[in-house]
Amino acid sequence: MQSFSYARPASLDSAIATFAEGGEGTRLLAGGTTLYDLMKLDVERPERIVDINGLAELSTIDTSGDELVFGALARMSDVAADPRLADEFPALSEALWKAASQQLRNMASLGGNLLQQTRCAYFRHGEPFACNKRSPGSGCSAIEGLNRGHALFGGSDACIATYPGDFAVALIAFDAEVDVAGPDGERTIPVSDLHRQPGDNPEAETVLMPGEIIIRIRVPADAVGRGSTYHKIRDRESYAFAVVSAAAAVRLEAGVVADARLALGGVATVPWRAREAEHSLIGTALTAETARAVGEIAFADAVTREHNAFKVELGANVVRDALLIASGRA
Amino acid sequence: MPTGPYAEIPRVDAYEKVRGRAIYGTDNNPSGVAYGAFVTATIGRGRITAMDLSEAQSIDGVRLIVNHEHTSDLQPARFIMQHGFAFQSYSPVLTPNVAYRGQPVALVVADTLESAIEAASRIRVSYEEHPFAATLDSERAEPVPQAEAATAWPIDDIVVGDAETVYADAAVKVDATYTMPTQHQNPMELIGTVAAWDGDHLTVYEGTQNAGACKFGLAEQLGIPPENVTVISPYTGGGFGQKNTMQSQQVLTAFAARELGRPVKVVVPRRQTFHDSSFRPATRQRVRLAADSAGRFTAALYDVDAQTSMHDFFQSEHADTAARHYGYGAFRSFTRLVRTDTPTPGYMRAPFEHATAFAIESAVDELAYEHGMDPVQIRLLNDTDTDIVDGLPHSSRHVSECLRRGAELFGWDRRTPEPRSMVAQNGDLIGMGVAIGLYAGSGGPNRASVRATRDGIIEISLGVHEMGQGIRTAIANVVARHLNVAPESVTAILGDTRGVPQMLTAGSWGSASSIPAAEAVCEALREALDALGTNAPEGASPAEILALADHDELSVEAATFAPGQNRDALGEIDTGHVAPSGPVYPDFITYSYAAHFVEVRVEQTTRRIRVPRVVSVFDCGRVLSPRTARSQAIGGVVWGVGGALREAGEVDPRYGGVLNADMAEYLVPVNADIGSIEVGFIDEPDPMVNRSGVKGLGEVVLVGVAPAITNAIYHATGVRARHLPVRIEDLV
Amino acid sequence: MSDDRKRTIEKRPWSITRRAVLASGSAVGALAAFGLKTPAMAQETTPAAPAAFLPRVLVSFAVNGVTQDIDLDPRTSLLDALRETIGLTGTKKGCDHGQCGACTVHVDGRRVASCLTLAAQVADREITTIEGLGDDEALHPMQQAFIDHDALQCGYCTPGQIMAAVACVHEGHAGSEAEIREYMSGNICRCGAYPGIVAAIRNAAQVMEG
Repeated sequence: MQSFSYARPASLDSAIATFAEGGEGTRLLAGGTTLYDLMKLDVERPERIVDINGLAELSTIDTSGDELVFGALARMSDVAADPRLADEFPALSEALWKAASQQLRNMASLGGNLLQQTRCAYFRHGEPFACNKRSPGSGCSAIEGLNRGHALFGGSDACIATYPGDFAVALIAFDAEVDVAGPDGERTIPVSDLHRQPGDNPEAETVLMPGEIIIRIRVPADAVGRGSTYHKIRDRESYAFAVVSAAAAVRLEAGVVADARLALGGVATVPWRAREAEHSLIGTALTAETARAVGEIAFADAVTREHNAFKVELGANVVRDALLIASGRA
Repeated sequence: MPTGPYAEIPRVDAYEKVRGRAIYGTDNNPSGVAYGAFVTATIGRGRITAMDLSEAQSIDGVRLIVNHEHTSDLQPARFIMQHGFAFQSYSPVLTPNVAYRGQPVALVVADTLESAIEAASRIRVSYEEHPFAATLDSERAEPVPQAEAATAWPIDDIVVGDAETVYADAAVKVDATYTMPTQHQNPMELIGTVAAWDGDHLTVYEGTQNAGACKFGLAEQLGIPPENVTVISPYTGGGFGQKNTMQSQQVLTAFAARELGRPVKVVVPRRQTFHDSSFRPATRQRVRLAADSAGRFTAALYDVDAQTSMHDFFQSEHADTAARHYGYGAFRSFTRLVRTDTPTPGYMRAPFEHATAFAIESAVDELAYEHGMDPVQIRLLNDTDTDIVDGLPHSSRHVSECLRRGAELFGWDRRTPEPRSMVAQNGDLIGMGVAIGLYAGSGGPNRASVRATRDGIIEISLGVHEMGQGIRTAIANVVARHLNVAPESVTAILGDTRGVPQMLTAGSWGSASSIPAAEAVCEALREALDALGTNAPEGASPAEILALADHDELSVEAATFAPGQNRDALGEIDTGHVAPSGPVYPDFITYSYAAHFVEVRVEQTTRRIRVPRVVSVFDCGRVLSPRTARSQAIGGVVWGVGGALREAGEVDPRYGGVLNADMAEYLVPVNADIGSIEVGFIDEPDPMVNRSGVKGLGEVVLVGVAPAITNAIYHATGVRARHLPVRIEDLV
Repeated sequence: MSDDRKRTIEKRPWSITRRAVLASGSAVGALAAFGLKTPAMAQETTPAAPAAFLPRVLVSFAVNGVTQDIDLDPRTSLLDALRETIGLTGTKKGCDHGQCGACTVHVDGRRVASCLTLAAQVADREITTIEGLGDDEALHPMQQAFIDHDALQCGYCTPGQIMAAVACVHEGHAGSEAEIREYMSGNICRCGAYPGIVAAIRNAAQVMEG
């Protein structure tokens, strides 16, 4: 790991100023579960670290109003345990507690979790692998390589690395937004716009501008949340990344679907909203058959690779099961 | 002295372990210790042409960089199976060669771990690259018939009768090929060494299964007398075969410490252990199994391709076990070793038997379905009293009893045989599968010494290592019985070359080699106490007798060997070599046995496979420590679950090395993966193999779990898995 | 360890306190109570001024009730600081990447992976390691339960398992075998002692919750 210098501001304003002063080569450290990990792998080589764990104002959790508001430094475990979230947005709660381990969830912040970086081994493990995300222009070892875990959606000729997070997948199903603060003030970004598809420059993973800090996440407290689930299929029963996951939510009126939300994890370069599949549900009575048909729509445009084609069939069934679990709660 | 089953006692070192006080190798921090970190090769094979150290040398705190230009005085390691001491004959950093991606090419030593790691990352290495073969299936991989491989202890193919002809003419037969990927031991304790010199004497702290080989191997590589080396390894944080011999980092750490004149600690990162230590070789096994109309196995043809390295023949013993699963009418094996550009594979827990059982026990299940027979019945029918290979009797073979008792405990009679015929209330498909497993009952020589004091101390030194299997507890239980003392008064000095010579603890022979020696030395102590002439009452403890005799203490020694061995075997362990004996002894043959019964649930939509219930019954001879034996058995079943459903080294043939070289991507079972595991023991002492009646347990416990699972998956789904691990995509 | 200090640790169901505080909306006050005084902060002049970037940091934190003042390379993990600097080697390194749980310790009563925690991050926090659990007179109920259920073999993952298990009970995640399995899945035991670990936690939870 490269050596770095360390700063620990005590307020958001100070953090923004510190981050700006650090300039290029400066990284924010929150929970550290992604950044410190990648620094140990020499994938991240910051010269300066701004430890923002002292920003108490970013740790709030408020689920009492029309909007769920989470400070960016709220820890995954605390948010997962929020009683209203567990009752009214089970998909959000499940997306949190089904991720990582309780140790890591005690450490990891929500903001940092949104910015979690891919698990692509060719990205993480450095030389000799080609990786346009880690080393722009070097190529992509995954496209012709072991790509069981790689994306079926949102890939490019430059990169098919999967976005590994769970919480962002659930958030986009509920039209969540993030507020960010930077040298030029605050702005709001829909979570669905936060991550960039790789295109020709996969190293640019988000639309955050230099110096910007995620300060909070807001979720409209929509009634659709109650009938929701985050259904995560893994290679082991716990402590593993998604092979395929689906955040699904439905609101029923008189037995037919009035509102439907569907987002996919483990299969795309960014958190992936399946809007066409959602629309196909509106006005239908949700059965195992219609749920499966929705799953097929969700995976209709999948671009498969040598080792991940099974996820089309699996994914359709994961969507099916997720919708049935969700409707059972609606 | 009481006989019969041993009492259950608590694990004697559990207290130290739950308090964080058990000191493992790299827990040692000698004063002034410096830290080492490796630079590793990024090419699949080739040669170093240049190494730019300038940036690394400028890092604050860097004290030494060791590369091939500094190590010409070091002797290369010798492979354990060529009468050496190391897991392979290839020694990274001793030459400019690169034999496989991920091997160390330089060692950086610095005042702090952080500086060492950073400096290692800043060394620029230039290479001349050569083509290479990364996997069993690579075009450049080189198959060599094992019978033709030049080795110290050649292994021939097995031929019993005319299996080809019998098979060709058989009424019922199966012909199937089973494949398994590489797997990695991943003990939780990382490989690592702390080396400290005091003048010309080297002390090494290391988690190892083989302190003796480390002592003699280090002496040989460093060119110093073996008596100048002490290896201390009282606790090993899991070995599973990975730590059964010298590792690459040992000699380099000791060398660096000598050069620097201060102690050096090297903890090999997890990713590097995947790349520069032994592993379970990938295999391809073809089984052709024939039966007569009654279901008796008339012939088995068994072809094995097993991976090895370019520099060593890691010999396959798959066929030796396969031939003993059943009483086949005829048997023929043909084994090839397939050379690849990798480290030499090695003895990962049940190194061959896990794979063999997968192939044989799957084929038996396939044949049972072909024949319309019950899978338990066909196994009972084909049990045997005599070894078909050597014509010798089994010293004990209670596998049928394991099957019968397991079937009863499991509730096998509730199973309906038709695939997909059992469905749970939630819609999951239920599958029930069975398989047997066996593992060689080896033994070996062992020296023992014991010191008894008037204060009640019983200190015993044995050539065996505690790596979690519970040997310290078994020793305490046995010594307590033989000397009529409390188990907690027994202190065992293990894994320490300051005691008696330390033999490799592996191959499930730890108990069978050390416990007879423990008994013998207790007997010798008894005799020595009797000779004091105190007329102590029957059953008096050593302390009581010593008090009566007004003696402060008494020490005695003893040595034992396995059937067919003589004192020459002691010479081997006295010089750090391995000297096991069995399973074929002069007058009999000895194996341990398992029968596993597994229930799986397969979710119909996602094809997720869960294992809610396992029942396993074992014949390991006398159980010395019921509590730790049960834990070891449960752990073996967990290993079987991992082996069947989780674990696979992923190799990108374009690069070599291991792609999923960490614990997030190389999946071993977690707590949520494991359901109910019920284990039972026959607990019948083997009457012939040694005075203690003990066979082995540590490996047989996992042998057969994988095929029991895949057979259950077949029963649940109708899909026959012939490749491990079985994952979602295999059933979608 | 004194009885007083043991009580402090025992009485700290931190996650519950924290959740209650956060729910009541006074999180700022609660977090300010950490007293996050680091050398970096000490150099600030105004709240909005940038904090100084320092090549080394002077950090003070308590380990098992004993204050440690350490001059650190900021790269140093809490794990390496505990093992190599402070000399508490009960906490183990199994992967160094947050993938195995062997390095689990408590920071202010919450379980964390010390390998992915910068030592600099825990300034002014209270760390509890396996050495701080129980004492020579009496084991912690979880330690005793691990012995009673033989919830270990090689023992290398055991300190991390026990620290995670104590937190698992304090968090309220030991309500059923299934919940224990899920919330203990961050601690890999390669020896496969999981059934014993689950049994030990069920048993210890009853004792701890009295």
